[in-house]
Amino acid sequence: MAKSNNDFFIDFEKLSRNRTILLVGRNWAFIFLTFMLILFSFLGKNFFSLKNFNNIILGVSSLLLLASGETFVIISGGIDLSIGFVMGFVCISSSIIMRDLNAAGYSPIISMMTGSLIGLLLGLIPGFINGFFVAKLRVPPFIATLGMWGIANGLAWRLCEGFPVGFLPLQVRDVGNAYLAYFSPKKGFSFLIKPELTEREDILNLVKVIPIPILLITFILIIFAFILSRTRFGQHTYAIGGKVDAAIRAGINVPLHLIKIYIISSFFAAAAGVLLVFKLNMGVHTQYTSSYELFAIAAVVIGGASLTGGKGTIWGTLIGVLLIGTLNNGLMMMGLPIFYRYIATGCILIIAILIDQFFPELVHRE
Amino acid sequence: MKKFIIVLLLICLVLSFASTICAAKLRFAFMPGIADPFYFTMEKGAKAKAEELGVELLVGEYPKAWGPEYQVPILKALVARGDIDLLFTAPTSTEALIPVLKEIHDSGIPVITVDTYLGDGDYTKPSNYNFPLAFIGTDNFLGGQVVAGQLALLLGGKGKVFLENTNPDVSSVMGRELGFRAGIKIFPDMELVGVEYCLDLQETAATQVSAALQKDPDLEGVFGVNVFSAQGAHQAVVTAGLEGAIKIATWDATETLIEALKRGEVDLILAQMPAEMGALCVEWGVKHLTEGAEIPRKVIPGFFVFTQENVNDPEAQQYIYK
Repeated sequence: MAKSNNDFFIDFEKLSRNRTILLVGRNWAFIFLTFMLILFSFLGKNFFSLKNFNNIILGVSSLLLLASGETFVIISGGIDLSIGFVMGFVCISSSIIMRDLNAAGYSPIISMMTGSLIGLLLGLIPGFINGFFVAKLRVPPFIATLGMWGIANGLAWRLCEGFPVGFLPLQVRDVGNAYLAYFSPKKGFSFLIKPELTEREDILNLVKVIPIPILLITFILIIFAFILSRTRFGQHTYAIGGKVDAAIRAGINVPLHLIKIYIISSFFAAAAGVLLVFKLNMGVHTQYTSSYELFAIAAVVIGGASLTGGKGTIWGTLIGVLLIGTLNNGLMMMGLPIFYRYIATGCILIIAILIDQFFPELVHRE
Repeated sequence: MKKFIIVLLLICLVLSFASTICAAKLRFAFMPGIADPFYFTMEKGAKAKAEELGVELLVGEYPKAWGPEYQVPILKALVARGDIDLLFTAPTSTEALIPVLKEIHDSGIPVITVDTYLGDGDYTKPSNYNFPLAFIGTDNFLGGQVVAGQLALLLGGKGKVFLENTNPDVSSVMGRELGFRAGIKIFPDMELVGVEYCLDLQETAATQVSAALQKDPDLEGVFGVNVFSAQGAHQAVVTAGLEGAIKIATWDATETLIEALKRGEVDLILAQMPAEMGALCVEWGVKHLTEGAEIPRKVIPGFFVFTQENVNDPEAQQYIYK
């Protein structure tokens, strides 16, 4: 490249030799998250509290699952646009099964188990089809998964006719909203079982530690983070995203691997769908369910993955998701209307893309 | 072969004349907005009234999704048969349906818009959308005020309330919001502490109401403008463990929400009267066509308010959308 062309731009190579900038550039999302936490603690009323952090993490729990699956796809150099609607489809299917089994007189536990299990299994199918089209028939991922986006949406709507699926066993809600431990100044510690409180003051003072859904998600994330960073499967994923020709020459069965990756992504979407049923005690699917995949992709990119593939981590994605959630929650607690929060999320995304664009070796030096 | 075709055409011609002559009774067409319990209930009300008055009622296929791109093709097929005396429909767009319905009106079929309207819904002033005979439907602003009043009644006329809306670009829910804001202002001891939009995503609604509760722990009431925002609000209240302490008001008496009311998940439901709307369309249509009666350009059938006390009353059951 001619040197003169670069005169207009900042010399990033020189910049990336500076240690401080290197450190900031690599961890900008984490630093920004910490900065936000401090800022909102001063500006937002009641922001800094365990209860609010529970709200934040519970609020982004579905997004976290979706984004983790998407991380695999994006690292492999693809994209999965279908996850939002696959989540909606699974949410509707498994809630219908739970509702009908419960109505037919089966015990709540059997209804819930069967509904969740079939939901999770159903979620594997879109992933397999996506992977098959991308890997075997060489359909661009954008198109193949957009096709599945439409199919999942149509199926979900056909099943629920545009209305939430209610009448689920009440235990669904109790499971989805349980915490590992409770502490009440009046009644002391208790595990899993929520103490009975009647006074509003006492209810507001009840300390709840670690939501059960978050505990499960953490467990899943640790497993998949291990798979991505420590196993051959993970290495192959990075290899395919980095240089697909090299991956083929190295003897990796690329089509098979891609199919597996799309199944993982779809499985995470299904898990998010089942989680939604437990959280909401209802099956819901609306056209806006498809805004989820865009925020999932945004979170993955903010977390340091590159849309061209080969880069990214589950922990980065976790930071990305938390950043979006905290930003939304914090601005909400400051009383900023929703319109400005969209603008803020957009700005953060642009910053992430800029850093990825201009500091590639700085952010992702392996 | 030619003769055969000519004979066939002649038979068709004769048959079509015969069918027009036979059809002495009125034939109305109803084109719903979307496949949902609200319009099913409207059809039931219209059917009952049509039977009573001896009108034949044709119902267009229910569109699977909301929007002119789904509704217009079905609507066109419905009126294409050409022997309809009156059409009543819920236009799925205030703008896009103007030329479509104008064409139907110009072909000699009078149009009534029900539940939703063309333009701003005021057919009395000069405009390109004032051709329908009437708009029969809910006044969302008025409904919002009614909810504010009823919520105030539940809370004893004081306390902080929160509004969980869905989409800032949809006229019906924005009407509810404006009405609610105006209604709350009437009570000096009540304060609307925030308004959020969840885009019909229940999870988002739950997150937003949780944050509102965190910001104002003394929050007493929430108005969720539809099923998604109300259930999301309930979700947030459950997460906070404040069931019963925070009153939730919502809109539309679907079976899901009525069940939620019975379970104590919501406390107040404002029901529109879709069956009433359908019946009014048929009734006014017949009056107009047989007696030449002048129809009021805007007819609002009113509301029914469900609470824990009356939800099991036998006379309240007719207002549930089924």
